[in-house]
Amino acid sequence: MRKALVLLLSLMMAVSIFAAGAGEGGSNDQIVIEFWTHEDVNRQALEDRYIQEFMESHPNVTVNVTRQASTKLIELVQTAFAAGEGPTMFNLSSRDVDAYSVGGRVAPMDYGAAGYTDAQSVKDAYLDGMIDPVTYDGEVYGLPLELTNWCIFINKKVFRDAGLDPETDYPRTWEDMVELSEKLVIRDGDILVRRGYDFRYPYYLETLVPMVEQLGGQLVSDDGTEAIVGEEAWVKVLQFMQDWGPNGLNLGSPTYTNARSLFNRDNNDIAMATTGLYQEARIKADNPEFYDSGEWMVVPFPVFEDAVNDVAACYYGHYYMVNADADEATQKAAWELIAYMLSHGEEYLTEVQLIQPTKELMESEAYRNMPYSEVFLGDFERGHVVYYGAASAEFQAQLRNAVEAVMLQGVTPQQAYSDLKANCQEILDENS
Amino acid sequence: MGRKSYSIERKQAKWGLIFTIPCLVFFAVFSFYPIINALLTSFTNRRAIARTSEFVGFENYVYIFTKDNGGFPLSNSIRATLIFTIGTFIPMIIASLIIATFLMQLRKDKYRGFFQLMYYTPAVLSSVVAAAIWMIIFDPRGLMNQISNFVMRTSGVDYNWLVDSTMLQISTMMIYFWKYIGYFVILFITGLASIPSTIYEAATVDGSSRWHTFWKITLPLLKPTTAMVSIMAMLQCLKTFSTQYMLYQGGSSRFPIDVITMNIYFTGIRNGRLGRASAMSIVLFLIMLIFTYIQLRLTRSSEDVEY
Repeated sequence: MRKALVLLLSLMMAVSIFAAGAGEGGSNDQIVIEFWTHEDVNRQALEDRYIQEFMESHPNVTVNVTRQASTKLIELVQTAFAAGEGPTMFNLSSRDVDAYSVGGRVAPMDYGAAGYTDAQSVKDAYLDGMIDPVTYDGEVYGLPLELTNWCIFINKKVFRDAGLDPETDYPRTWEDMVELSEKLVIRDGDILVRRGYDFRYPYYLETLVPMVEQLGGQLVSDDGTEAIVGEEAWVKVLQFMQDWGPNGLNLGSPTYTNARSLFNRDNNDIAMATTGLYQEARIKADNPEFYDSGEWMVVPFPVFEDAVNDVAACYYGHYYMVNADADEATQKAAWELIAYMLSHGEEYLTEVQLIQPTKELMESEAYRNMPYSEVFLGDFERGHVVYYGAASAEFQAQLRNAVEAVMLQGVTPQQAYSDLKANCQEILDENS
Repeated sequence: MGRKSYSIERKQAKWGLIFTIPCLVFFAVFSFYPIINALLTSFTNRRAIARTSEFVGFENYVYIFTKDNGGFPLSNSIRATLIFTIGTFIPMIIASLIIATFLMQLRKDKYRGFFQLMYYTPAVLSSVVAAAIWMIIFDPRGLMNQISNFVMRTSGVDYNWLVDSTMLQISTMMIYFWKYIGYFVILFITGLASIPSTIYEAATVDGSSRWHTFWKITLPLLKPTTAMVSIMAMLQCLKTFSTQYMLYQGGSSRFPIDVITMNIYFTGIRNGRLGRASAMSIVLFLIMLIFTYIQLRLTRSSEDVEY
């Protein structure tokens, strides 16, 4: 009996191993596109319509859409690819796309299906540098759904409540930001009831790195061999974050509800938040009264008083990409679908305030008519694309650890810098 | 031609085997395969996105025991896991036993049912909902600071439930305790209910006090249940993940609460280093195996209980 049991167990294990390793087989004329994208309630309505229209004009194509929170999507796509079951097409942020094209997991663009002639024609259609994160070995592997850069949104009512004039007193420098926050903050003992401003935790590649660059530091050296360059700049920024946090001036903390979410509510609990043009559509959807009141405004990303470089927050894109494991017909259909959705750039902009960074759209009347579009355009010119090397996700995590170490755990900025430098250098070396 | 004859035991064993086949299939697919796969992967440098990987021998094991792992060494994860396990499962076993004993004293079944339901409800809540509730409670402007200020007779003090390293670890223990105590209360109630009432009646006739009955009858007869519950609770605590992950997502620091499962998750899923993460998961598997063996050895005599 015991022998039979052992035999049965061994058989079960063997079956399970072979079953798990078995590949997919078979194909037919019907094309199924598994499309994974990040959640955006405003964008969803538009895209559902485009997909429906596409399926009507392509009766042999079925599109199954899966939507997840953007942070969750990064993990799901990666896990699916690791298991050899990646979606047909998906979109990820510019800081997450590099590994897929370099690793050969996504297909080079089918230029004809996407409405282009070659890689150069794609680059010519978009703003300079926008296609770089998805370019590898001269081929283009993705198209940007949206360009996002972040500026500072201000609630004018909160400013006036603190005796400030938002039109003249808004922050130009990070030192201004501290000074204004001291005036705007309301505390119940140690507890912040109203914050003047709070950072966009934990998106440090987009917001902390430019602060370091303003002081002459760098995330990675120009030749790509050294990580965390410029000790003085890094230590000063980490010191600034420590002073900002609960163990310093107590002006904000990552453990409070994020400022961007509170801003729309207009509940007198936040005066300023870092966010993008898309926030305008979200304010309109969440709190139309506040949107229509005109009691909000947008100003550029501040710089340090002793800045040596004028750098705004880094911009990033979300790129559509197609799975290299999909068969040729499915890849072609996926690129056609992407091209069809992206052909509605003006509607994306006017309906949900998402910017497709084509030259045509950025020079259009529609873009110029968006509230504060000139502020975003100005900061776009002052900024640069977010770091998108293979180690970008790990760098993002390391920056978070460093900021939390100084803000929450009382680690000295010098020590946090040393740890950050050592860890990022190891990551860079491993990925090079 | 002789007829083959089977004993009743052999027939029962045959049917027993047939009935366990679905379970064996389930375990083969969902447990054996992942364990073997993780073991094999732990000897490679497999990355999540890369199509190929190379055999690297014990390199991953050497790395996780000797290197910093990007500021999150395995040694810190073992520390965080052990502190969480000891700080959670021992109070949880004691509290669930006490609550179960009190609930068994309730004379009306409907009251007992109501309290069982109340204690068990958090266990069926999804971790996301539970975390959302507790993030509101632990928010600096939330209920926990208000209660703490009331109890400590202070005003406006932020007790840093999600900031301070020690408080953060206590917060994870509180959430876990709240979420799972009902489950273990139910298990203890089942164990208590299986003790024959005649034994208690005999004790009462002999003049035993309630306190004496509890220590001399209830507790010894409950040893098999206690052993099972303590092993289950310990294993569950060693595998804890969602509570720590949700607090991290809410803005708390990772280092103080970087339990082994969370380190595996970040190493494997976020950073895509599947080989290294698999080595960590094998280490966790061995830790759980060793602790379970020790606990089984310590409570082996409990199986001798007879009514």
